Amino acid sequence: MERPRDPAVHPLKIASSLVSPRSFLYSHKPGPSQAPPKMDKSQQPSSFQQLEKLGEGTYATVFKGRNRQTGEMVALKEIHLDSEEGTPSTAIREISLMKELKHESIVSLYDVIHTENKLMLVFEFMDRDLKRYMDTRGDRGQLDPATVKSFMHQLLKGIAFCHDNRVLHRDLKPQNLLINKKGQLKLGDFGLARAFGIPVNTFSNEVVTLWYRAPDVLLGSRTYNTSIDIWSAGCIMAEMYTGRPLFPGTTNEDQLIKIFRLMGTPSERSWPGISQLPEYKSNFHIYATQDLSLIIPQIDPIGMDLLNRMLQLRPEMRIGANEALQHPWFHDLPQIQAKLQQQHQQQQMAGYGGMIPPQPAY
Amino acid sequence: MAANYWASSQRRHWLFSREKLADIRDGLWEKDKVAHSQFPLPDQRLLNIYFNQQLIKLGKRMSTRQQAIATAQVYLKRFYTKNEIRQTNPYLVLTTAFYLACKMEECPQHIRFVVGEARGLWPEFITPDVAKLGECEFALISEMSSQLIVHHPYRTLSELQTELQLTSDEVALAWSVINDHYLTDLPLLHPPHVIAIMAIIVAVVFKPTHPTAFTSSGQSAIAASMRDGGGMQMLAALSDKSGTAPPPKITKLVSWLAESEIDIKAVIECTQELVSLYEVWEQYSEKTCKELIGRMVKSKNLDK
Repeated sequence: MERPRDPAVHPLKIASSLVSPRSFLYSHKPGPSQAPPKMDKSQQPSSFQQLEKLGEGTYATVFKGRNRQTGEMVALKEIHLDSEEGTPSTAIREISLMKELKHESIVSLYDVIHTENKLMLVFEFMDRDLKRYMDTRGDRGQLDPATVKSFMHQLLKGIAFCHDNRVLHRDLKPQNLLINKKGQLKLGDFGLARAFGIPVNTFSNEVVTLWYRAPDVLLGSRTYNTSIDIWSAGCIMAEMYTGRPLFPGTTNEDQLIKIFRLMGTPSERSWPGISQLPEYKSNFHIYATQDLSLIIPQIDPIGMDLLNRMLQLRPEMRIGANEALQHPWFHDLPQIQAKLQQQHQQQQMAGYGGMIPPQPAY
Repeated sequence: MAANYWASSQRRHWLFSREKLADIRDGLWEKDKVAHSQFPLPDQRLLNIYFNQQLIKLGKRMSTRQQAIATAQVYLKRFYTKNEIRQTNPYLVLTTAFYLACKMEECPQHIRFVVGEARGLWPEFITPDVAKLGECEFALISEMSSQLIVHHPYRTLSELQTELQLTSDEVALAWSVINDHYLTDLPLLHPPHVIAIMAIIVAVVFKPTHPTAFTSSGQSAIAASMRDGGGMQMLAALSDKSGTAPPPKITKLVSWLAESEIDIKAVIECTQELVSLYEVWEQYSEKTCKELIGRMVKSKNLDK
């Protein structure tokens, strides 16, 4: 079923300019005949009313904002500039990738505004991240199976789009997945994303939050690829069902042990080449593979098959995003989406918006 | 780096027709005729050669990847389609383009280090204030509308290496031809794969008889064999297959091209552009470039 297009997303509103309050490049003072350069090129920060703080990231603070002209809600990501590094690399990476990646499952960047000492990215407004969504809407963090399926499909669509465009997200986690009132899920926070255009063996291995980090990355592989995002997606799928992180490791080694305890300790036989990886230890405790459905009893067998394909220890064995979207588990997605839409409309009519916990779908 | 070329900002916003590019430059000239007559500058390609040499000097001590230098050159081109060079301090702009390109290509350098190196090279033109570079970086990002991801021909070259069974000499030569195309307007005129094909053809067709150690430029090697004339005839054979049969490798290349739906006319145009670059190169004088730019920057106080 075709979803109505988000009225907040007007393609024409996506300004492509960056506004600078002063012209510093040219030493000569603009004469009275010369208009102050670029002041009028786009919106000024004052055209957005800053509302409550939504969150604090590693290099930025995010506020809710309102466009004074249109009343449209936006998310304002404020990046403080440090004269010692110019515009932060993470911000540059995020802005430039967002300029290339326009997709319904990726949060839109509308505008970039520069003021004296900060940079403000104006994003499409999303109500909350998946983590908070699970905390507030779920039953002890657990989401109902229909919602999990809908979210997983959107997550994989976003990942597939990134991968088709030769971009790795590298930092997928519930805090970086954003949900709006219509039940749409979009990928956000591309501060760590990188393009994998040219084969480079020097990827930094200090990426991806530990809990969602793929075992090959944990083992020190520096030639990882798209499969690292799939591992993260698998961890997120399990977490949506249970309300708890699947592998909540504390250190690199602890993270590996938590993974092996469930998925079994890999060997040169199950994963040729593993012993060559920098962090591999021949004395890893040998665990047998556990049945994941004992830990995630909520999941149906077809969903378990998909999850198992995503959580393959060996990166080459992991399913690709496009292939995952074709998995039989998604065959009944249209019916599920129709049902979710109906629930959503009932809630709207009851006047609660998206703020009440979901009614049990009996 | 990054993302799909066909949907890229490079293709949508930074690819011009020759006429459009000429119009843009006429526009810049119209706006500031006085400065143009007061401060004549060498041919754009000669300036590009000068800028490229400065970038290489700057990158030398930081062991920068070639790709970052290439990206910096594209940034300079893009920036100067929006701004008249005579209103800028080119040394600051090129240092900034380098600094930003290093961030984008994931080989970042510390701002103090970059400013220090730049001051070492051009003490009269770069102030020790690092904030200047930060501000200029912002201007650059702004003028490029944050469209910073550049697709380079190097990737197509490495992808086609096996398919076309190129020898390592041919790849090295094609690579240096790609390096040279940044000295022309070609990066603003043609998509990267067309450039890569051009570079491969040039490398295969004009293969120098003495495969000496290749420098970063294909100039010396190729210019010589182009002067011999034989290569140009083979090139003509690409568009007109009725001529005498070329060597097997070239025949193979021609049939591959015929199947690939590549715009052969564009490829030939690129080759001609490169040939004329090598001709213009003969007139290059580092001293002249340095003097003319220096005079302009100093008399207009653009370095303050």
